Amino acid sequence: MRSADLLADASVASGPSRPRWPAAMARPSGVMLVSWFLGSVLLAFIVVPLLGLAISQSGASLVHVAALPEVRNAILLSFASALLATSVAALIGVPLAYALAHATFPGRGIVAAIVDIPLAVPHTVAGIALLFAFGRRGIFGAPAEAWLGLRFWGTVAGIVIAMLFVSVPYTVSAARIGFESVDPRLEKVARTLGMGAWRVLWHVTLPLAWRSIATGLILTCARAISEFGAVVILVYYPMTAPVKIYELFLRFGLNEAAAMATLLLALSLILLILFRWLAQGQGRASGYGR
Amino acid sequence: MNRPVLAVEDVSLGLGAFSLRNVSLALAPGEVLTLLGPNGAGKSVTLETIAGFHRPRAGRIVIGGRDVTSLAPERRRVGLMVQNYGLFPHLTVAANVAFGFVARGRARRPDGADVARLLTRFGIDHLAARLPRDLSPGEKQRTALARALARQPEIFLFDEPFSALDARTRDTLREEFRAFLREAAVPAIFVTHDQADATVLADQVAIMDRGRIVQAGPVAEVFRAPANSFVADFTGVENRLPGRVVSRAGGRWQIAIGDRLLQADAPSLAAGTADVFLCIRGEDVALRSPGEPASDLSTGNRLTMRVERVIGLGALCRVVLDGGFPLIACLTRRAARDLGLVPGGHAVVEIEPESIHLLAG
Repeated sequence: MRSADLLADASVASGPSRPRWPAAMARPSGVMLVSWFLGSVLLAFIVVPLLGLAISQSGASLVHVAALPEVRNAILLSFASALLATSVAALIGVPLAYALAHATFPGRGIVAAIVDIPLAVPHTVAGIALLFAFGRRGIFGAPAEAWLGLRFWGTVAGIVIAMLFVSVPYTVSAARIGFESVDPRLEKVARTLGMGAWRVLWHVTLPLAWRSIATGLILTCARAISEFGAVVILVYYPMTAPVKIYELFLRFGLNEAAAMATLLLALSLILLILFRWLAQGQGRASGYGR
Repeated sequence: MNRPVLAVEDVSLGLGAFSLRNVSLALAPGEVLTLLGPNGAGKSVTLETIAGFHRPRAGRIVIGGRDVTSLAPERRRVGLMVQNYGLFPHLTVAANVAFGFVARGRARRPDGADVARLLTRFGIDHLAARLPRDLSPGEKQRTALARALARQPEIFLFDEPFSALDARTRDTLREEFRAFLREAAVPAIFVTHDQADATVLADQVAIMDRGRIVQAGPVAEVFRAPANSFVADFTGVENRLPGRVVSRAGGRWQIAIGDRLLQADAPSLAAGTADVFLCIRGEDVALRSPGEPASDLSTGNRLTMRVERVIGLGALCRVVLDGGFPLIACLTRRAARDLGLVPGGHAVVEIEPESIHLLAG
């Protein structure tokens, strides 16, 4: 009632012929209106099913699944493995992104395309390929077991490998964009100011590329948590959360699975929001990207 | 003469399709040199080679008596300044300046006394906590100069720092820049494609084209006596006219352009030369009204020519004349008005023989 009065007052004050848009906001064009209309279809497409899942669950059923040790273990395993996979992605993906952004060598495009392959391969196919390479007689699996005692079939290491394979492209491509956006002249100036190449990397390049790198790592982590296909082929036990949900679905049906799905959804969202907030805080601390 | 602070000796290098060929430069203490040339001439590559980002295939680079040809950029004492000044966008003004101290042992804290002294000297102490994107171009320039000076460079290298600025800001900052260079007395190389930068800032100029230095010397000399038609064109010589040698007596030459005769002083031109190009700067062409008595130029060139067009360019005017050959004169708008120049009218042209530079055709 009151806001309606205010609107009426405003339209009287500004006269009937004046547009009702605030001065600071340009009247949206037709292009913008159509974009927003179609865009909101997409937003609804994403939000409605997830929201529908969440509100279908009673608090009691959530408490029930959360109290099951096997559910809690699966979720913890998922998060821990995803963090490990993300760390490895940072360790080996960010350097590759730096090399791709800085070097000009023939075949650079081929290397970039190779990194993107996991995005195009069905994840069950990725799992089978990894099984060949990291299995007991695989080209990586055999020496790893012989020299390090590390096995990938049915172990956490296997989960991490499967998650890494399908999620590392996000880190490489985002970090590469970040590195490419750093003006090479800034790096040159830093060198002449007396910094060696490593110090320039640490003090200039990484802080300026940090936002993109962080975005890539967050996407990698999210993708790793959600991975099912590659993980389930390489490692059925111990069960990660998506595998556990699948098992609950097969054994007890939709309701049991939906409760755990809601729990995983909520925890994943909290984790990702926390990461994003941390990444931005990091950016602010270095005075960049306010 | 003083020992040069910088000597680039016969440097050649290849970078993909581009190459530098036999580049030599020398810079005395306190001297400012402009590297002038069109885009792609190799000016920036030359600067980056001096800074240490490209390894020469041949030749050597000596800075302050030390052969630095194979030293990394951080081990050479050069101050580099790039387009838009290259301030680190994630660091405050004080932190940017503090970075200049990295090479002198431990990095300084942004709130340290060394940094504060420089900020005060450049009048930017009140901006210490600002980020570069909140600075005006002038404030950016001062920050970048303070940071470069903190490193105590033996030479400054400037890579078109003004090229992204509008004309007005450019003039102001160029003036401020000149004052800084005079005061700091650190020799500098200044890369630009704007000849105004060269005439305002530099003592010496080197003109580059396709990876070579085509002419180098004091600014006034290079602008007055270009070595070839590329340099003449690039330094903005308005008149380049083909002529034929008629006679020669000592350093004084008689040149025919069409049916007109001009006298030119060219003591260094080879004796047997038959065909020449006459280079005459527009500002060396004096105009008088037809009625006016001759000025006391006893041996001068005096011709009556027809006024074709008068083109105004702000404070200056370009007068296009025709008298059997085309000629452009540059004069102030005021002078043009006082002469009453109108298209179709006539004017008397006076050119001193020493203002005509001859190139062998």
